[in-house]
Amino acid sequence: MIDARANAGSRIALYAVLVVFALFYLMPLLVVVLNSFRSFEEITRSSVLGLPTALRTDNWAQAWGTYCLAGACTGIKPYMWNSLLIAIPATLLSTLLGALNGYVLSLWRFRGASLVFGVITFGVFLPAQMKLVPWAIVLRELGLSNTINGLLLVHVVQGLAFTTLFCRNYYVNVPQDLIKAARIDGAGFLQIFRRIILPLSPPILIVTIIWQFTGIWNEFLYGITFSEGPQRPVTAALMALSANIAQAREYGIESAAVLIAALPTLLVYLFGGKYFVRGLTAGAVK
Amino acid sequence: MNAARRTRDVLEGLSRLFAALVLATAVCYVVGFTAWTTWISFTDSALLPDYTFVGFKHYERLLGSRVFLVAYGNLAIYGVGFIVGAAATGLLLAILIDQKIRAENALRTIYLYPMALSFVVTGTVWAWLLNPDIGIENFVRGLGWDNFRFDWLIDSDLAIYAVVIAALWQASGFAMALLLAGLRSLDADIYKAAQIDGASPARMYLRIMVPAIWPIVVSVLVILLQIAIKTYDLVRALTAGGPGIATTLPTNVVYDYMFQRGEMGAGSAAAVMLLLSLLLVMVPYALFQRLQKRRQQRHD
Amino acid sequence: MTRHHRRALLLACSLGLAHTSLHAEPRLTVISQWSAGAEGAAMDAFGNLVKKEGVTWQHSPVSGFTTDMMNKLRADIIAGHLPAAAQLKGPDIKAWSAIAPTVNMNDVVAASDFPQNVSPDLAKLHKPQGNWIALPLHIYRVNTLYASKKALDRIGATALPRTWDEFNSMAGKMAEAGITPVAHGGIAWGDTMYFELVLAGISPNAYQRAIMQLDDQALRGPEVLAGLRQLRQLTQWMNPSNAGQHWSVFLPALMRGEYGFLMMGGWASGVLKRGKFQEGKDFLCGPTPNDSQRPAFDMNADSLVFWDTRNPDLLAGQKIAAKVVMGKEFARTFTQINGSVPVRTDVDLADAGYQDCQRDAARNLKEAIAANQVLMSLGHNMAQPSGVTGELRDVLTEFVHNKRITAEQAQQRLVKAADAVR
Repeated sequence: MIDARANAGSRIALYAVLVVFALFYLMPLLVVVLNSFRSFEEITRSSVLGLPTALRTDNWAQAWGTYCLAGACTGIKPYMWNSLLIAIPATLLSTLLGALNGYVLSLWRFRGASLVFGVITFGVFLPAQMKLVPWAIVLRELGLSNTINGLLLVHVVQGLAFTTLFCRNYYVNVPQDLIKAARIDGAGFLQIFRRIILPLSPPILIVTIIWQFTGIWNEFLYGITFSEGPQRPVTAALMALSANIAQAREYGIESAAVLIAALPTLLVYLFGGKYFVRGLTAGAVK
Repeated sequence: MNAARRTRDVLEGLSRLFAALVLATAVCYVVGFTAWTTWISFTDSALLPDYTFVGFKHYERLLGSRVFLVAYGNLAIYGVGFIVGAAATGLLLAILIDQKIRAENALRTIYLYPMALSFVVTGTVWAWLLNPDIGIENFVRGLGWDNFRFDWLIDSDLAIYAVVIAALWQASGFAMALLLAGLRSLDADIYKAAQIDGASPARMYLRIMVPAIWPIVVSVLVILLQIAIKTYDLVRALTAGGPGIATTLPTNVVYDYMFQRGEMGAGSAAAVMLLLSLLLVMVPYALFQRLQKRRQQRHD
Repeated sequence: MTRHHRRALLLACSLGLAHTSLHAEPRLTVISQWSAGAEGAAMDAFGNLVKKEGVTWQHSPVSGFTTDMMNKLRADIIAGHLPAAAQLKGPDIKAWSAIAPTVNMNDVVAASDFPQNVSPDLAKLHKPQGNWIALPLHIYRVNTLYASKKALDRIGATALPRTWDEFNSMAGKMAEAGITPVAHGGIAWGDTMYFELVLAGISPNAYQRAIMQLDDQALRGPEVLAGLRQLRQLTQWMNPSNAGQHWSVFLPALMRGEYGFLMMGGWASGVLKRGKFQEGKDFLCGPTPNDSQRPAFDMNADSLVFWDTRNPDLLAGQKIAAKVVMGKEFARTFTQINGSVPVRTDVDLADAGYQDCQRDAARNLKEAIAANQVLMSLGHNMAQPSGVTGELRDVLTEFVHNKRITAEQAQQRLVKAADAVR
């Protein structure tokens, strides 16, 4: 926190830069929003980039509730629900377990901790395509093929690589004195985790939750391959709207659907904002 | 009193066991899947895994294929451009946001939300924006600036940079978020001490704060690196690997062989080589870390 | 009990017994990639026809591209949990039937008049080991030429060019008039498709030998070189801004007369119809230029494969579905919704649900069968298994977008590519 001692000039420059960046980030969103109000004929007859002639809401209504997908004309509403059922438990579970892993690897110095951390971190690099068939085999052996629990298992285990990385590299900065003091007081493994580590964690937990929720929410390959029709996540619906060779792509409805589908993640970002607060370690050591 | 202590001890033990199991699962997953893929890369697997050994046949074929080599060249350019660009942008934004801004929540969400859109959407929209006939070039020319050119997307040599822009747009917000979390975790004392020192803001951040959150910076770099390595949907939606094969990346090659061509053996070999190429980055880093540690030990 | 009552009771009992001996409750589980839009609607209509015959219809579409559906099929095979029917096509039918058991449909097919009214080249693909294990659902003509009426008017032309010379002359005039002669997106399968259309037009016979049989001599031959040269000429007439774009992005410009010609599969007319563009008024549709004096047809067909699930309910469902697919009602319903052409050549396309473009394609198909010039599309994975297509596609897509590669070099690379995968 730099004091507002900085003069007004540099303050203006600061805001100017931030606004320019904001425009850069918003530009594509603007395109999608505009398209969500344009009809199929409008887009097909003029161009994919353009202003709507009227703010009609047909695309939104269709995307949400009436567009026909897989034989049912219910829009993306049921798929949104499915995605929530997958993303929320998977995010929470992988985040919590990642925090546990991070805690163990950073604060309980055992031999080989660095190696274990390195191996787990390597997991973030494994491309999704290469893991598809092995997962199919694993799920078959566990009897979880084509079930939601199977899909949850996939997301949680894959997420562990990321969540462990985030949490461990955050927890290494926790002062060792805190831990030592607690141990002297007689606190055990679980207690230190609950009483000391977790309260210090909001900034990294929220970042981890953001990462996991976004990743799982937008995930298509596994969501499609390891689930059956009625349980499919919203990415299946979005893909149905966009993957087209032989068809006219319904850009208008697709835009509306994309925006609706992005809402939960946006809410996570907005809501998570208040956890980006400063200095939670301040005062804790003293 | 004793009963309470015993249940606490049992809970202690169980929680340690549980933690160990979770760690073990994570390790087994990485080691197991990588080992299996490596094994398959030496077999004649096509549509399904088939365990007939064929040695290095797939590796030889891939290394002799034009597309494969072009893909790696592209990965090098894209990787460096994207990682450096996104990290720098993220750092800049994090530092700026750290300055007690009004509307911090709104701005932070604006920078972060691109990550909420799937790569398919990002690629599609940026493809329109970067299309000279209908996108930005067209728009700016419409404003009167007739000689404005922004046709990287369709230039075989420059298209990869267009991919960098779109990827940067998508991911730099998250880099910002991680770095901001790191900066916010720092003790207020560090700030105060630096200010007393009279250091300029730039120096304060670069010389003191960023090194103080170095593990978080490493996380950022790892995340960006894995995005770069695994970029697939973005290329597919933005350029379809084109013009021609000018923006094909190794994951596109993996997907093509493994799924489109139904040649799992070759696809696995491509994946293994992709992971091996990571060693080019990780080994120097590990050596660098060890050197640092040794230097520190010598100082102590 | 009176005699009447006894007889009624006996009748009821025997009917009851007869019913329980019909143990199967016909059911059909299907996976395809057709979940939305016209394709999804066509599958729903198929489902209704099947339901009318008493089969429980369970279609679980996998949205995305064909590869995504194949991933689902692969996962299902690994899990030991096959669907009764899956969408596959061309050489993939042979490849996939080697890794999972299929059902022999010979008796059902023989009992219908289907085989006599279907192109034998197409039928062959569905009998990879000699028995019918799959059935084609519909056909798209890949060698369709669309011309912008406005562009044609500007150069004073009233009909589509029939040979490559005519085409080149018209395109030259368009270029002089400031129109971009060839509309092309530049996605890899599109690049491959342009090559195949050019080669097929120059010499269907050379196409059959070089591409469908991967004959080395033919690949080194003069027709392939001429094809590549013509393709290079086409690329000079394309707008480089469209590289990597989906072809629907420049449709508006084509209709406005900024572009002249589009070579695309018959599905494009469905798209144009939805955009409320009219045949004859906004665009003309016909076959791509053909120098061979005899009709040729470049085919893309989707099919349904029947897997052996060891389940009597599904087997019963499969047999009934097969009968439906071979019938004329299905042909009409499915192709009207999709904008495609029936597999059977004896279906009457006069009714208003069809466009002229489809009628033209159907006629073309019949004539090409008679002339033995039915070709399988390379770009749409009909001519060769995907491994081979991929290898050739890489060469062709680079050739289209990198003008520094000469036709001779491209031919050498094609020969090398074919060697690598033969």
